[in-house]
Amino acid sequence: MSAPTCVRATVFRRWSTLWRHKTQLLSFSALLLLPACASFSPDGGMSVTTDIAARHLRKDVVAIRNDEDADAARVKVDDLLKRTLNADTAVQIALFNNRGLQAAYNELGIAEAQRVQQSLPPNPSISISRLSGAAEIEIERKIAANILALLTLPARAEIATERFHRAQLAAALETLRVASDARKAFYRAVAARQAVGLLEQSSEASSTTAELAKRMTASGAMNKLDQSRQQLLHTELTTELARARQRATSERERLVRALGLSGKDLAFKLPSRLPSLPNRPPAMKTVEEEALNSRVDLKIARSELDSLAKSYGLTKTTRFVNVLESGYLDKRVEERATGEHKHQSGFELTLQVPLFDFGEARAREAEQTYMQAVNRLAQKAVNARSEAREAYRNYRTSYDVAARYQRDVLPLRNMISEELMLRYGAMQIDVFALLTEARQRIAANANAVDALRDFWLASADLQAAVIGGAGAPSDSPSSTTAMAGDGEPAGH
Amino acid sequence: MITRRNLIGTSAVLAGAAAISGRVQAASIPEAVTTASPAMQPPLTPASGPAYQPVVTLNGWSLPWRMNGEWKEFHLVAEPVERELSPGMTAKLWGYNGQSPGPTLEFVEGDKVRIFVTNKLPEHTTVHWHGFVLPNGMDGVGGLTQPHIKPGKTFVYEFVAKRSGTFMYHPHADEMVQMAMGMMGFIVVHPRDPQERRVDRDFVFLMSSYDIDPGTSLPKVMTMTDFNLWTWNSRVFPGIDPLVVRKGDRVRIRIGNLTMTNHPIHLHGPHFEVTGTDGGWVRESARWPEVTTDVPVGGMRAIEFTAEEPGDWAIHCHKSHHTMNAMGHEVKTFIGTPQKDLTKAVRKLLPDYMPMGTEGMAEMGTMEMPMPDNTLPMMTGFGQFGPLEMGGMFSVVKVREGLARDDYKDPGPYKHPPGTVAYEVKGDIPDAMRRSDNSTKPGNVELSVVKPRTNRQGGQH
Ligand SMILES: [Cu+2]
Repeated sequence: MSAPTCVRATVFRRWSTLWRHKTQLLSFSALLLLPACASFSPDGGMSVTTDIAARHLRKDVVAIRNDEDADAARVKVDDLLKRTLNADTAVQIALFNNRGLQAAYNELGIAEAQRVQQSLPPNPSISISRLSGAAEIEIERKIAANILALLTLPARAEIATERFHRAQLAAALETLRVASDARKAFYRAVAARQAVGLLEQSSEASSTTAELAKRMTASGAMNKLDQSRQQLLHTELTTELARARQRATSERERLVRALGLSGKDLAFKLPSRLPSLPNRPPAMKTVEEEALNSRVDLKIARSELDSLAKSYGLTKTTRFVNVLESGYLDKRVEERATGEHKHQSGFELTLQVPLFDFGEARAREAEQTYMQAVNRLAQKAVNARSEAREAYRNYRTSYDVAARYQRDVLPLRNMISEELMLRYGAMQIDVFALLTEARQRIAANANAVDALRDFWLASADLQAAVIGGAGAPSDSPSSTTAMAGDGEPAGH
Repeated sequence: MITRRNLIGTSAVLAGAAAISGRVQAASIPEAVTTASPAMQPPLTPASGPAYQPVVTLNGWSLPWRMNGEWKEFHLVAEPVERELSPGMTAKLWGYNGQSPGPTLEFVEGDKVRIFVTNKLPEHTTVHWHGFVLPNGMDGVGGLTQPHIKPGKTFVYEFVAKRSGTFMYHPHADEMVQMAMGMMGFIVVHPRDPQERRVDRDFVFLMSSYDIDPGTSLPKVMTMTDFNLWTWNSRVFPGIDPLVVRKGDRVRIRIGNLTMTNHPIHLHGPHFEVTGTDGGWVRESARWPEVTTDVPVGGMRAIEFTAEEPGDWAIHCHKSHHTMNAMGHEVKTFIGTPQKDLTKAVRKLLPDYMPMGTEGMAEMGTMEMPMPDNTLPMMTGFGQFGPLEMGGMFSVVKVREGLARDDYKDPGPYKHPPGTVAYEVKGDIPDAMRRSDNSTKPGNVELSVVKPRTNRQGGQH
C-alpha cells in the first residue's frame, strides 16, 4: 500500500585496536581470495562448438583470432573450392568462411572476457574525509570496497561462467544453424540447376514439335490452329525455362551467402545432380530422446535455469542487502570542547530495510522468474520432442515420396516411353505423341528432383530439430517446376 | 460328357465321329470334338451318310458328326477360346469347340440334323441358324423362340436341311457382345446329288472384325466402326492361308460377313460370277461377271470361277484400311515433312527414334521394328519381289498346274515364265514429255478464283 521506504542505517562496530582491525582486514583479504580467479581458456571457449561440430557434423570449426588462423582457414577453403562441391564440403566451407559465424564466435570471446572480469575481486578505494563542525573535528578514513561485490563474487563468477557456457552453446547453435543453412542452400542450388537441365530438355522437345508443326503446316498436313498450339506450348516452355534459370541463379546466390564467398571464389563448381536417395532411410527410433539429450537450445535453457537458480539463491541471501556500497570505516572524532578524540571503526553497510513485504516480494519475483524459466524449459522440451517427431515424420514422408519417384514413377515413365516407342515403330502413334510423352517424362523427372531435394532438406531439418533446435521445418516448396505438357494427353 | 483333348501335332482334327466314348453314348450326346490349331485342316470326307464334295475352311476345319438312326448328330460347345490371329498375336475370344470361328458344319440336302449345344460361356447363349428355313422354335432367338441356354446347360436343335446352299450360325443372345467376341461358324448344305453344282475346290470363310488394343488380347466389344483388325476366319494376313487351286479347277469361294460394315471382295486375275447368297442359288440367267463383289453386313456370297491362268492372284477386301492390321488412326501425315535434320534433337530425348513417313509409309512394309507385345505390324508380308505391305483381309489365290486333287499345300511363289514380269526400262531415257509441255504455257489461260461474297445484301438470289 505505502511506497517502500528506504532507510539508511550505519552500523558501527568498534574495534579495540587498530591492530585488531588490521588482522580483521587481513582475514577479510583472505576471504577475497576464495574464489579462484578465472583465466582465459586456451581455445577461447570453442571446445563445445568444436566438440558438437565434430560429433554431429563431422566438421572442423575455427574461430579466426589472428592472421595465422585466417590464413589456415583460407588455405582449407581454397582447397575445398577447387573440387566440385558436395553437401559436406559446402558445410565445411561455410564453417570456415561464414563471417556471421565468426561474429558469433566473437560473442563467445566477449562472454569469456566478461567471465574473467567477473571472477576478479573489486578494487578497493581509499578515501579520507575531514569534517569539522562546531564541536568536533571528524576525520574519516575510508577504505571503500565494494563489499557486496566481494560477497557476491562467487555467485557472480559462477553466473558469468554460466553465461559464458551459454555463449559457448549459442556459438555451437549458430554453428549448427550455419551448417544447416549451407547444407540446405546447397541442395536447393543443385536442385534448381538440375531443374534447368530438365527444362532445357523439355524445351528442346517442344522446339522440335514446334518445328515439325511448322513444316507440317507447309506440307499441308496441319492447320494453323494446331500449329499455333504447338508454337504456344514451346513459347510457354521457353518462358518456364527462363524462370527456372532465374531460380537457379537466386539459389546459387543464396548458397554464396551461406558459404560467405566472394570474388574469385564465385567460380565454384556445383554437381549436375542431387545425391541419390539412400537405399534405406536411417531408422530413428529414439528421435525424441535424442532431441532431449542433444538439442543445444535445451542445453542453453537448462544453463539459463541454473543461472537463475543461482541468482535466486543470491537474491535470497541479499534480499536485505541490496546496496552496492559498503566498506570499512575508520573514523576519528575529536571533541572540540574537550580536545579528546576517539576512534570509531567498523563496517559500514548500507542496507535496504524491507518495509512491508518488499523483500518478500523480491524473493517471490525471483521465485516466479525461476519458475517461469522452469516452465519455459518444460515447454521447450515438449516442443523439442514434438518438433523432433514432426521433423522425423516429414523426413520419412519425403523419403517415401522421393523413393516412390525413384522406384516407381520414373521406371514406369521409362516403361511408358519404351512402350510408346514400340507403338511408334508399329505406326500406331506418331512422333508428336512420343515428344509429348518425352515432355511428361521430363516433368516426372523434375518432380522427382523436387522430391529428392525435399528429402535432403527434410534430412537437414531433422538434424536441426534433433541437434540444433532450429526446429522449424523448411518452407518445403511444392513442385516449383510446373512443367508444360504435364498431364497432357499423349497426342491423341 | 465333353472331353477336350490336345492334338499331337498341329494340323489334325482331334478325333473322328468314331471316337465316341461309352459314357457319351450312354448319355446320348455325341462327343464334342475340339481343336487347338488355327491351321487349315484337310476337307472332311464323309465316312457315313450321303456322299458330298466337302468344303475347305480357310484356317479352319469341319466338325465331325455321328449318325444316330436317321439323325446326323453334331455337338457344339460355346466356350472361351484363344485364337492366334497371325503368328505373334493371340486374341482371347469366345467361339466353339476350341476355335473362333467355330467348326464348319456340313449337311446334305434333306439331312435330319440334331445339334447339341453346350454352353461353357459365363453367360447364357443361343444359336441361330442363319438362312435356314426351320421350325420357328429352332430359330435360336433367345427369349423370342426359346429359353436361353444358361451356362453349363446343353440344348438340342433339330431340323431338316431343306435346301442346299451357304449358311452360317451365330448366337442370338447378347448378340452384340458374343459376335464381337468371335462367336460364329459356317454351314454348308451340299446338294443331294454330289454332281449338282459340283466344283473341284470349295473354300469357305467368314469375315469378322475386332478392336484389340496393341498389347491386349481381349476385343473391345463396344467398338462400332473403328476396328483395327479385319479378319477372315479370325485370321489376318499374313496369317491367312492361300487359296491353293489346280489349273483348270472349278473353284467356289463362299464368304460370309459378320462385321459391322460391307466388304467389296476383289479377286485379281480370273473373273467370277456370284452364284449364291444365303437366300439360295442364283439362277444362271441372273448372274453377271464380276471382279469385285460387295458382301453386305450379315450376308453371304458364293462366287465361282474357273482357274485358267496360273499365278499368284491377290484376293482382298477393297477397302484399303481393311488390308491393314492395327494402325493408329490418329497418326498425322508426315508426307513432305522433312525430319532427318531433327533426328539428332529427337534422339537426345528418345534414343531409339527413327523418322518415318516423310516419303509415305511403304517403309513400314520393309522395317522390322520392335513392337508392343501381342500386336501385328500394320502392313507386312513378303513376296518373291519384296514386301507386300498388306494386312487384314488379304490372301492369294494360287493357281498351279498339276496339283493333286486334294493338295491344298502352299506351293510357294509363282514361277513366272520368262518375259512375263513387269520390268524396268534401262538405257538413256529422255525426260518424260508431258502433253501440257507443248500446249499452253502457264499464264496463257488466266483463271481467277473469286471468293463468294458473304455479304447477303444486294444482288443475291
Ligand atoms: Cu473390307
